[in-house]
Amino acid sequence: MIRRDFSERDIHMALDGELPADERTAYDAWLDANPEMKARSTRFTADRVALQAAFAGVLDETVPVRLRKVVLGETPVKAAAPSSRWWLSAAAAVLLVAGGLGGYLAGIDGLGQEDPAEDRLAEQAIAAHVIYAAEQRHAVEVPASDKDHLQTWLSNRVGLKLVAPDLTADGFQLVGGRLLPAGESKAAMLLYEDGKGQRISLFVTTESAENTKGTYMAAQDGPEAVYWLDKGYGCAVVGSLPRERLAEVAKNAYSQLVSGLAS
Amino acid sequence: MDEKKAAILGEIPRLRRYARSLLRDRDSADDLVQDCLERALVRLDNWQTGESPRRWLFTIMHHLFIDQMRKVNRRGEAAMLPLEAGEAVAQPAEQMESVASREIIDALQAISPDRRAALVMVAIEGFSYAEAANILGVPAGTLMSRIARGREELRGLLDDTARRRAIRIVEK
Repeated sequence: MIRRDFSERDIHMALDGELPADERTAYDAWLDANPEMKARSTRFTADRVALQAAFAGVLDETVPVRLRKVVLGETPVKAAAPSSRWWLSAAAAVLLVAGGLGGYLAGIDGLGQEDPAEDRLAEQAIAAHVIYAAEQRHAVEVPASDKDHLQTWLSNRVGLKLVAPDLTADGFQLVGGRLLPAGESKAAMLLYEDGKGQRISLFVTTESAENTKGTYMAAQDGPEAVYWLDKGYGCAVVGSLPRERLAEVAKNAYSQLVSGLAS
Repeated sequence: MDEKKAAILGEIPRLRRYARSLLRDRDSADDLVQDCLERALVRLDNWQTGESPRRWLFTIMHHLFIDQMRKVNRRGEAAMLPLEAGEAVAQPAEQMESVASREIIDALQAISPDRRAALVMVAIEGFSYAEAANILGVPAGTLMSRIARGREELRGLLDDTARRRAIRIVEK
Protein backbone atom coordinates (compact mmCIF):
# COMPACT_ATOMS: atom_id res chain seq x y z
CA MET A 1 0.00 0.00 0.00
CA ILE A 2 1.09 3.53 -0.61
CA ARG A 3 1.79 5.07 2.73
CA ARG A 4 2.78 8.47 1.54
CA ASP A 5 2.71 10.63 -1.53
CA PHE A 6 5.79 10.35 -3.65
CA SER A 7 7.14 13.17 -5.75
CA GLU A 8 9.85 13.87 -8.22
CA ARG A 9 12.25 14.25 -5.33
CA ASP A 10 11.88 10.54 -4.70
CA ILE A 11 13.07 9.76 -8.21
CA HIS A 12 16.41 11.31 -7.37
CA MET A 13 16.54 9.64 -3.98
CA ALA A 14 15.76 6.24 -5.49
CA LEU A 15 18.38 6.74 -8.15
CA ASP A 16 21.01 7.72 -5.60
CA GLY A 17 20.19 4.89 -3.22
CA GLU A 18 18.68 7.22 -0.63
CA LEU A 19 15.16 5.84 -0.63
CA PRO A 20 14.47 3.79 2.50
CA ALA A 21 14.27 0.11 1.60
CA ASP A 22 10.81 -0.31 3.11
CA GLU A 23 9.42 2.38 0.78
CA ARG A 24 10.76 0.80 -2.36
CA THR A 25 7.72 -1.32 -3.15
CA ALA A 26 5.31 1.56 -2.74
CA TYR A 27 7.63 3.76 -4.80
CA ASP A 28 7.76 1.25 -7.65
CA ALA A 29 3.96 1.03 -7.61
CA TRP A 30 3.78 4.83 -7.76
CA LEU A 31 6.13 4.88 -10.74
CA ASP A 32 4.05 2.26 -12.54
CA ALA A 33 0.95 4.34 -11.96
CA ASN A 34 2.60 7.52 -13.27
CA PRO A 35 3.97 6.99 -16.78
CA GLU A 36 5.35 10.50 -16.95
CA MET A 37 7.34 10.05 -13.76
CA LYS A 38 8.43 6.64 -14.91
CA ALA A 39 9.72 8.08 -18.18
CA ARG A 40 11.60 10.73 -16.21
CA SER A 41 13.11 8.11 -13.98
CA THR A 42 14.19 6.07 -16.99
CA ARG A 43 15.89 9.07 -18.60
CA PHE A 44 17.71 10.04 -15.41
CA THR A 45 18.83 6.46 -14.90
CA ALA A 46 20.25 6.34 -18.42
CA ASP A 47 22.02 9.67 -17.88
CA ARG A 48 23.53 8.39 -14.66
CA VAL A 49 24.90 5.32 -16.42
CA ALA A 50 26.24 7.48 -19.25
CA LEU A 51 27.94 9.84 -16.80
CA GLN A 52 29.62 7.00 -14.99
CA ALA A 53 30.74 5.46 -18.26
CA ALA A 54 32.10 8.77 -19.53
CA PHE A 55 34.50 9.10 -16.60
CA ALA A 56 35.18 5.46 -15.79
CA GLY A 57 38.35 5.44 -17.89
CA VAL A 58 40.03 8.05 -15.68
CA LEU A 59 40.49 5.51 -12.89
CA ASP A 60 42.55 3.29 -15.18
CA GLU A 61 44.88 6.03 -16.36
CA THR A 62 48.43 6.03 -15.11
CA VAL A 63 48.80 8.60 -12.37
CA PRO A 64 51.00 11.43 -13.66
CA VAL A 65 54.45 11.35 -12.14
CA ARG A 66 54.19 14.95 -10.98
CA LEU A 67 51.27 14.04 -8.72
CA ARG A 68 53.07 11.09 -7.17
CA LYS A 69 56.10 13.27 -6.59
CA VAL A 70 54.07 15.77 -4.60
CA VAL A 71 52.96 13.08 -2.17
CA LEU A 72 56.32 11.34 -2.01
CA GLY A 73 57.95 14.66 -1.15
CA GLU A 74 60.20 14.77 -4.17
CA THR A 75 59.06 18.26 -5.07
CA PRO A 76 59.22 21.00 -2.47
CA VAL A 77 55.76 21.66 -1.11
CA LYS A 78 54.70 25.26 -1.42
CA ALA A 79 52.92 26.61 1.61
CA ALA A 80 51.92 29.67 -0.36
CA ALA A 81 48.80 30.08 -2.42
CA PRO A 82 48.39 27.63 -5.25
CA SER A 83 50.37 28.83 -8.19
CA SER A 84 48.92 26.76 -10.94
CA ARG A 85 46.49 28.26 -13.34
CA TRP A 86 43.81 25.59 -13.44
CA TRP A 87 41.26 28.07 -12.16
CA LEU A 88 41.60 30.17 -15.26
CA SER A 89 40.48 27.26 -17.32
CA ALA A 90 37.94 26.48 -14.62
CA ALA A 91 36.49 29.90 -15.05
CA ALA A 92 36.32 29.42 -18.76
CA ALA A 93 34.74 26.02 -18.35
CA VAL A 94 32.14 27.21 -15.91
CA LEU A 95 31.41 30.19 -18.01
CA LEU A 96 30.71 27.99 -20.97
CA VAL A 97 27.09 27.34 -20.50
CA ALA A 98 25.20 25.75 -23.30
CA GLY A 99 22.70 28.17 -24.67
CA GLY A 100 19.82 25.86 -25.24
CA LEU A 101 16.43 27.44 -25.21
CA GLY A 102 14.77 24.56 -23.47
CA GLY A 103 12.68 25.25 -20.46
CA TYR A 104 14.50 22.46 -18.81
CA LEU A 105 14.10 23.95 -15.39
CA ALA A 106 10.36 23.77 -15.73
CA GLY A 107 8.65 21.19 -13.67
CA ILE A 108 10.95 21.16 -10.72
CA ASP A 109 9.79 24.30 -9.03
CA GLY A 110 9.49 23.89 -5.34
CA LEU A 111 12.59 21.80 -5.02
CA GLY A 112 14.75 24.79 -4.35
CA GLN A 113 15.24 28.47 -4.86
CA GLU A 114 18.18 28.29 -7.19
CA ASP A 115 17.63 30.31 -10.28
CA PRO A 116 20.91 32.01 -11.03
CA ALA A 117 20.43 35.46 -12.45
CA GLU A 118 23.05 34.80 -15.10
CA ASP A 119 21.16 31.78 -16.45
CA ARG A 120 18.04 33.86 -16.72
CA LEU A 121 19.84 36.72 -18.40
CA ALA A 122 21.52 34.51 -20.97
CA GLU A 123 18.34 32.61 -21.73
CA GLN A 124 16.42 35.84 -22.27
CA ALA A 125 19.19 37.25 -24.45
CA ILE A 126 19.40 34.17 -26.62
CA ALA A 127 15.61 33.95 -26.92
CA ALA A 128 15.46 37.57 -28.05
CA HIS A 129 18.26 37.05 -30.51
CA VAL A 130 16.67 33.95 -32.02
CA ILE A 131 13.41 35.79 -32.58
CA TYR A 132 14.52 39.22 -33.74
CA ALA A 133 17.84 38.66 -35.48
CA ALA A 134 15.98 36.45 -37.96
CA GLU A 135 13.53 39.26 -38.82
CA GLN A 136 14.43 41.18 -41.95
CA ARG A 137 11.98 44.09 -41.93
CA HIS A 138 10.93 44.16 -38.30
CA ALA A 139 14.15 43.35 -36.50
CA VAL A 140 14.32 46.67 -34.68
CA GLU A 141 11.92 49.31 -33.42
CA VAL A 142 14.26 52.25 -33.81
CA PRO A 143 16.79 52.16 -36.67
CA ALA A 144 20.44 53.16 -36.37
CA SER A 145 19.72 56.26 -38.46
CA ASP A 146 17.99 57.57 -35.34
CA LYS A 147 20.82 56.57 -33.01
CA ASP A 148 20.62 59.49 -30.60
CA HIS A 149 16.95 58.95 -30.02
CA LEU A 150 17.51 55.21 -29.72
CA GLN A 151 20.09 55.68 -26.97
CA THR A 152 18.05 58.23 -25.05
CA TRP A 153 14.85 56.24 -25.32
CA LEU A 154 16.39 52.93 -24.24
CA SER A 155 18.38 54.57 -21.45
CA ASN A 156 15.22 56.12 -20.04
CA ARG A 157 13.18 52.96 -20.29
CA VAL A 158 15.78 50.54 -18.97
CA GLY A 159 17.15 52.95 -16.38
CA LEU A 160 20.80 52.74 -17.37
CA LYS A 161 22.96 55.16 -19.24
CA LEU A 162 23.32 53.25 -22.46
CA VAL A 163 25.74 53.99 -25.24
CA ALA A 164 25.46 51.79 -28.31
CA PRO A 165 29.03 50.49 -28.69
CA ASP A 166 30.80 51.20 -31.94
CA LEU A 167 31.72 47.78 -33.30
CA THR A 168 32.92 48.84 -36.74
CA ALA A 169 36.44 47.70 -35.81
CA ASP A 170 34.96 44.21 -35.55
CA GLY A 171 33.13 44.64 -38.84
CA PHE A 172 29.69 45.23 -37.36
CA GLN A 173 27.36 48.14 -38.00
CA LEU A 174 24.47 49.07 -35.74
CA VAL A 175 21.11 48.12 -37.26
CA GLY A 176 19.01 49.56 -34.45
CA GLY A 177 17.42 48.51 -31.21
CA ARG A 178 14.30 47.59 -29.35
CA LEU A 179 12.84 47.47 -25.87
CA LEU A 180 12.06 44.06 -24.39
CA PRO A 181 10.62 42.66 -21.18
CA ALA A 182 13.15 40.99 -18.89
CA GLY A 183 11.46 39.33 -15.98
CA GLU A 184 10.07 42.14 -13.89
CA SER A 185 12.23 44.78 -15.51
CA LYS A 186 13.07 45.89 -19.03
CA ALA A 187 15.92 45.18 -21.36
CA ALA A 188 17.47 46.94 -24.31
CA MET A 189 18.43 44.94 -27.35
CA LEU A 190 20.87 46.40 -29.85
CA LEU A 191 21.24 44.62 -33.16
CA TYR A 192 24.40 44.69 -35.30
CA GLU A 193 25.14 43.31 -38.72
CA ASP A 194 28.32 42.70 -40.68
CA GLY A 195 28.92 42.98 -44.43
CA LYS A 196 27.75 39.44 -45.00
CA GLY A 197 24.46 39.93 -43.20
CA GLN A 198 25.63 38.04 -40.12
CA ARG A 199 23.95 39.44 -37.02
CA ILE A 200 24.84 39.75 -33.38
CA SER A 201 22.88 41.37 -30.59
CA LEU A 202 23.62 43.06 -27.33
CA PHE A 203 21.18 42.56 -24.52
CA VAL A 204 21.40 44.91 -21.54
CA THR A 205 19.22 44.92 -18.48
CA THR A 206 19.28 46.09 -14.88
CA GLU A 207 20.17 43.11 -12.77
CA SER A 208 19.81 43.35 -9.04
CA ALA A 209 22.19 40.48 -8.40
CA GLU A 210 24.12 41.46 -5.31
CA ASN A 211 27.34 39.92 -6.51
CA THR A 212 29.39 40.69 -9.52
CA LYS A 213 29.55 37.87 -11.99
CA GLY A 214 31.24 37.43 -15.28
CA THR A 215 29.99 34.67 -17.41
CA TYR A 216 30.54 33.29 -20.83
CA MET A 217 27.90 31.14 -22.33
CA ALA A 218 27.91 28.97 -25.38
CA ALA A 219 25.92 26.36 -27.18
CA GLN A 220 27.49 23.74 -29.36
CA ASP A 221 25.65 24.78 -32.50
CA GLY A 222 23.08 27.47 -31.80
CA PRO A 223 23.83 31.09 -31.05
CA GLU A 224 26.29 31.66 -28.28
CA ALA A 225 26.12 34.27 -25.57
CA VAL A 226 29.01 35.94 -23.85
CA TYR A 227 27.51 37.46 -20.77
CA TRP A 228 28.34 39.13 -17.52
CA LEU A 229 26.66 40.70 -14.54
CA ASP A 230 28.17 43.73 -12.99
CA LYS A 231 27.08 46.18 -10.37
CA GLY A 232 23.51 47.01 -11.25
CA TYR A 233 23.37 45.65 -14.76
CA GLY A 234 23.66 42.53 -16.81
CA CYS A 235 24.75 42.26 -20.40
CA ALA A 236 24.97 39.54 -23.00
CA VAL A 237 26.40 39.52 -26.49
CA VAL A 238 24.71 36.88 -28.63
CA GLY A 239 25.61 35.58 -32.04
CA SER A 240 26.61 32.57 -34.10
CA LEU A 241 30.23 33.61 -34.54
CA PRO A 242 33.23 31.46 -33.82
CA ARG A 243 33.72 31.57 -30.07
CA GLU A 244 37.00 33.49 -30.13
CA ARG A 245 35.53 36.12 -32.42
CA LEU A 246 32.41 36.51 -30.30
CA ALA A 247 34.61 36.86 -27.25
CA GLU A 248 36.59 39.61 -28.95
CA VAL A 249 33.48 41.50 -29.97
CA ALA A 250 32.08 41.11 -26.45
CA LYS A 251 35.26 42.45 -24.94
CA ASN A 252 35.11 45.47 -27.18
CA ALA A 253 31.41 46.03 -26.45
CA TYR A 254 32.01 45.54 -22.74
CA SER A 255 34.68 48.20 -22.44
CA GLN A 256 32.56 50.71 -24.36
CA LEU A 257 29.45 49.94 -22.34
CA VAL A 258 31.32 50.24 -19.06
CA SER A 259 32.82 53.59 -19.93
CA GLY A 260 29.40 54.70 -21.22
CA LEU A 261 27.71 53.69 -17.98
CA ALA A 262 30.36 55.42 -15.93
CA SER A 263 30.24 58.66 -17.88
CA MET B 1 56.62 5.53 3.19
CA ASP B 2 54.25 6.33 6.00
CA GLU B 3 50.67 5.15 6.05
CA LYS B 4 49.13 8.54 5.55
CA LYS B 5 51.04 9.14 2.37
CA ALA B 6 50.19 5.69 1.09
CA ALA B 7 46.52 6.38 1.74
CA ILE B 8 46.74 9.68 -0.12
CA LEU B 9 48.47 8.06 -3.08
CA GLY B 10 45.65 5.54 -3.23
CA GLU B 11 43.08 8.31 -3.58
CA ILE B 12 44.72 10.04 -6.52
CA PRO B 13 42.76 8.18 -9.23
CA ARG B 14 39.46 9.18 -7.59
CA LEU B 15 40.60 12.77 -7.13
CA ARG B 16 41.59 12.91 -10.77
CA ARG B 17 38.21 11.62 -11.86
CA TYR B 18 36.39 14.19 -9.74
CA ALA B 19 38.64 16.98 -11.01
CA ARG B 20 38.11 15.86 -14.60
CA SER B 21 34.36 16.01 -14.22
CA LEU B 22 34.63 19.50 -12.75
CA LEU B 23 37.04 20.86 -15.32
CA ARG B 24 37.09 18.57 -18.36
CA ASP B 25 40.53 19.64 -19.56
CA ARG B 26 42.99 17.01 -18.43
CA ASP B 27 45.92 19.27 -17.56
CA SER B 28 43.75 21.74 -15.69
CA ALA B 29 42.16 18.89 -13.78
CA ASP B 30 45.57 17.52 -12.81
CA ASP B 31 46.67 21.02 -11.77
CA LEU B 32 43.71 21.10 -9.40
CA VAL B 33 44.64 17.68 -8.02
CA GLN B 34 48.21 18.87 -7.56
CA ASP B 35 47.08 21.96 -5.64
CA CYS B 36 44.91 19.70 -3.53
CA LEU B 37 47.76 17.31 -2.75
CA GLU B 38 50.11 20.15 -1.90
CA ARG B 39 47.61 21.63 0.49
CA ALA B 40 46.89 18.23 2.00
CA LEU B 41 50.57 17.61 2.72
CA VAL B 42 50.96 20.98 4.39
CA ARG B 43 47.99 20.18 6.59
CA LEU B 44 48.75 16.56 7.21
CA ASP B 45 48.44 17.16 10.94
CA ASN B 46 44.83 18.30 10.53
CA TRP B 47 43.89 14.91 9.25
CA GLN B 48 42.15 13.19 12.14
CA THR B 49 43.04 9.61 12.76
CA GLY B 50 40.18 7.46 11.60
CA GLU B 51 38.79 10.07 9.23
CA SER B 52 38.39 8.71 5.72
CA PRO B 53 41.24 9.99 3.55
CA ARG B 54 38.79 10.19 0.67
CA ARG B 55 36.42 12.54 2.44
CA TRP B 56 39.26 14.66 3.76
CA LEU B 57 40.89 15.03 0.34
CA PHE B 58 37.66 15.62 -1.52
CA THR B 59 36.79 18.37 0.95
CA ILE B 60 40.13 20.06 0.39
CA MET B 61 39.81 19.84 -3.36
CA HIS B 62 36.26 21.04 -3.40
CA HIS B 63 37.19 24.10 -1.32
CA LEU B 64 40.02 24.92 -3.70
CA PHE B 65 37.67 24.64 -6.64
CA ILE B 66 34.84 26.70 -5.18
CA ASP B 67 37.08 29.36 -3.60
CA GLN B 68 38.77 30.04 -6.88
CA MET B 69 35.50 30.09 -8.77
CA ARG B 70 34.16 32.68 -6.35
CA LYS B 71 37.29 34.80 -6.59
CA VAL B 72 37.13 34.71 -10.34
CA ASN B 73 33.49 35.66 -10.33
CA ARG B 74 33.74 38.38 -7.73
CA ARG B 75 36.35 40.50 -9.43
CA GLY B 76 35.18 42.38 -12.43
CA GLU B 77 38.51 42.20 -14.21
CA ALA B 78 39.04 38.59 -13.47
CA ALA B 79 35.53 37.96 -14.59
CA MET B 80 36.55 39.11 -18.01
CA LEU B 81 39.53 36.78 -18.09
CA PRO B 82 37.66 34.04 -19.88
CA LEU B 83 37.16 36.38 -22.77
CA GLU B 84 40.87 36.95 -23.03
CA ALA B 85 41.67 33.32 -22.50
CA GLY B 86 40.07 32.22 -25.71
CA GLU B 87 42.71 29.63 -26.26
CA ALA B 88 42.02 28.10 -22.89
CA VAL B 89 38.36 27.93 -23.78
CA ALA B 90 38.81 26.11 -27.03
CA GLN B 91 39.83 22.81 -25.54
CA PRO B 92 40.49 19.91 -27.82
CA ALA B 93 38.17 17.04 -27.09
CA GLU B 94 39.85 14.24 -25.20
CA GLN B 95 40.81 11.40 -27.42
CA MET B 96 38.93 8.16 -27.36
CA GLU B 97 35.69 9.69 -26.18
CA SER B 98 32.62 8.24 -27.77
CA VAL B 99 30.12 10.68 -29.20
CA ALA B 100 27.69 9.92 -26.40
CA SER B 101 30.37 10.44 -23.77
CA ARG B 102 31.47 13.67 -25.35
CA GLU B 103 27.94 14.96 -25.42
CA ILE B 104 27.30 14.23 -21.79
CA ILE B 105 30.71 15.59 -20.75
CA ASP B 106 30.02 18.80 -22.68
CA ALA B 107 26.60 19.07 -21.11
CA LEU B 108 28.04 18.50 -17.65
CA GLN B 109 30.49 21.35 -18.19
CA ALA B 110 27.62 23.60 -19.11
CA ILE B 111 25.73 23.36 -15.85
CA SER B 112 26.59 25.59 -12.90
CA PRO B 113 29.64 24.52 -10.85
CA ASP B 114 27.60 24.05 -7.67
CA ARG B 115 25.13 21.75 -9.37
CA ARG B 116 27.86 19.96 -11.25
CA ALA B 117 29.80 19.23 -8.08
CA ALA B 118 26.69 18.00 -6.24
CA LEU B 119 25.60 15.75 -9.08
CA VAL B 120 29.06 14.31 -9.66
CA MET B 121 29.55 13.62 -5.96
CA VAL B 122 26.57 11.29 -5.78
CA ALA B 123 26.15 10.06 -9.35
CA ILE B 124 29.77 9.36 -10.23
CA GLU B 125 31.71 9.31 -6.99
CA GLY B 126 29.02 7.40 -5.16
CA PHE B 127 28.93 9.45 -1.97
CA SER B 128 25.74 9.35 0.08
CA TYR B 129 23.71 12.54 0.36
CA ALA B 130 24.97 12.99 3.92
CA GLU B 131 28.61 12.54 2.90
CA ALA B 132 28.27 14.79 -0.14
CA ALA B 133 26.51 17.52 1.85
CA ASN B 134 29.29 17.33 4.41
CA ILE B 135 32.06 17.56 1.82
CA LEU B 136 30.38 20.38 -0.07
CA GLY B 137 29.51 22.15 3.18
CA VAL B 138 25.83 22.67 2.38
CA PRO B 139 22.60 21.54 4.07
CA ALA B 140 21.10 18.30 2.76
CA GLY B 141 18.12 20.17 1.29
CA THR B 142 20.40 22.39 -0.75
CA LEU B 143 22.34 19.39 -1.95
CA MET B 144 19.16 17.65 -3.07
CA SER B 145 17.95 20.74 -4.83
CA ARG B 146 21.26 21.04 -6.67
CA ILE B 147 21.19 17.40 -7.68
CA ALA B 148 17.62 17.64 -8.96
CA ARG B 149 18.24 20.84 -10.87
CA GLY B 150 21.56 19.58 -12.15
CA ARG B 151 19.92 16.47 -13.55
CA GLU B 152 17.09 18.47 -15.12
CA GLU B 153 19.53 20.88 -16.67
CA LEU B 154 21.77 18.13 -17.95
CA ARG B 155 18.83 16.31 -19.53
CA GLY B 156 17.58 19.56 -21.07
CA LEU B 157 20.96 20.16 -22.66
CA LEU B 158 21.14 16.63 -23.99
CA ASP B 159 17.63 16.97 -25.41
CA ASP B 160 18.68 20.20 -27.10
CA THR B 161 21.71 18.50 -28.60
CA ALA B 162 19.56 15.64 -29.86
CA ARG B 163 17.04 18.08 -31.30
CA ARG B 164 19.72 20.03 -33.13
CA ARG B 165 21.09 16.81 -34.53
CA ALA B 166 17.61 15.85 -35.71
CA ILE B 167 17.18 19.24 -37.34
CA ARG B 168 20.46 18.88 -39.17
CA ILE B 169 19.43 15.50 -40.47
CA VAL B 170 16.12 16.91 -41.68
CA GLU B 171 17.90 19.79 -43.40
CA LYS B 172 20.09 17.41 -45.33
